[in-house]
Amino acid sequence: MSELILQALYSGVLQGGSYALIALGLALVFGTMKVINLAHGELVLLAAYMAYTVESRLGLSPMFAIPVALVLVCITAVLVYFLVSLIRKDRELNSLILTYGIGIILTNAVLLIWSADVRSTSSSWMQDALVFGPFYSMRSEVLFFVVSVALMGGLWWWLSKSWYGRAVRAVSSNRDAAKLMGINPRSTEIVSFIVAGILASFAGVAIFSYGVIQPAFGHVLTVKAFIITVLAGIGSIPGVMVGALLLGIAEALTVTLASSALQELVGMSLFLLVLFVMPNGLFGAAGRRG
Amino acid sequence: MLEIANVRAGYGAINILWDVSISVPTGQLTTIIGPNGAGKTTLLRAIMGLVPLSQGSIRLNGEPLDGSSTWSMLERGVAMIPEGRMIFKDMTIEENLMLGAFPKAQRASAQANCEKAYAMFPRLSERRTQLAGTLSGGEAQMLAMARGLMSDPKLLIIDEPSLGLAPVVVNELFEILARLKAEGRTIVLVEQNTHKAVGVADHVHLMQSGKVVLSKPAAEVSLEALHELYFAH
Repeated sequence: MSELILQALYSGVLQGGSYALIALGLALVFGTMKVINLAHGELVLLAAYMAYTVESRLGLSPMFAIPVALVLVCITAVLVYFLVSLIRKDRELNSLILTYGIGIILTNAVLLIWSADVRSTSSSWMQDALVFGPFYSMRSEVLFFVVSVALMGGLWWWLSKSWYGRAVRAVSSNRDAAKLMGINPRSTEIVSFIVAGILASFAGVAIFSYGVIQPAFGHVLTVKAFIITVLAGIGSIPGVMVGALLLGIAEALTVTLASSALQELVGMSLFLLVLFVMPNGLFGAAGRRG
Repeated sequence: MLEIANVRAGYGAINILWDVSISVPTGQLTTIIGPNGAGKTTLLRAIMGLVPLSQGSIRLNGEPLDGSSTWSMLERGVAMIPEGRMIFKDMTIEENLMLGAFPKAQRASAQANCEKAYAMFPRLSERRTQLAGTLSGGEAQMLAMARGLMSDPKLLIIDEPSLGLAPVVVNELFEILARLKAEGRTIVLVEQNTHKAVGVADHVHLMQSGKVVLSKPAAEVSLEALHELYFAH
């Protein structure tokens, strides 16, 4: 029994890496623009289908899809930004409807192009077992967990050391004060969408490499990312990483100990529990957003 | 240096400033005093482009500022230290300071200016890696001042620096203002502490209900007359 639980914890942590990449993108965009991009999961899905196309059409490893996915997903992300920035009134609320609509359009575009079939990688290199002591996983899971950790390290460096990263944090923290520092908030908004797109590209290729994808999956990913951001407490980047691991572990434990049918339910239950018990999230300072 | 002429401005349908004209001479300290709700902060926000003008003009060294963005002001040599400090609470003190030098032209000298700021405000130096949210009110104001100086501005606009601070800290603050003035910077100071503000100023403007009701050199201002005007309405 304890072996099963240990194994579930391990799988959960590996899964949490991709969840963190997706949720960080959502959180960054929310920080600078106060917009919850409900089409964010579809951006990830787009990258996942690029990986499928590169593998099935060109016979290459899904890894080779990353450059194509980066270009396509970032262009789509910037497009979403421009559509959202056209909203003049009540942007926080109206953007929910707009991005939800963009999500539906993207899902249906995926459905048209790639059909409703469930896809997964056929690369045996990716699926080969990798065993560390009592822990078992696919090679792709470990590979992309390492990639996720590296990307998060890069993101941390960028946010704390680079001029533009610090500007993104400044705009998230206090928009008027950031303007007084000579920061144009619109350019940090575009930058945050592009960074979200970069993270989504890697997450999408990762998810295709160790899991299964289908056109409606984008929506599921958006919901997961949203749950993680609320778990973390909106505005907390380290919180997002811990929240992603928590969700990954909770899901893996549920699948191991109960049933995989309950996997999506556990995230939602966690979400409601946190909202009731700690409305500011696990890491959100009380009244951080006034 | 700064010419404000017949400015009207406000928030949406509510007009706050009614034909305000103030001239700010180079190298001197101009103070704008007045009760709460007189429009002092709105005037400063209008200068910085945070509030649009509906009439009149603001010129910096003869060039009109109308419609130029807030984020271009630092490049033009104008820095504002806003009311309520507006420091970035979840960033460290050093990160806050570096953001004060964000415009590209300032970045090369950012590190040197940072050391200058620490020399002027030694207490910030001790805490450079702490989050700004952990500072006391006085320290937060010092951080806001230091951050405003990071771009080495020609014109420094300071809004209510003494608000909510202990008298000892207020004294310290006005000593620093006197030093900045001695360095030859042009300063616009909005204050509620009339006595202190007039003491350090070269020119005094009293605002009431969105209008300038008195403009005089500081030397000719008697505090009693000022207080009478202050409480007249």
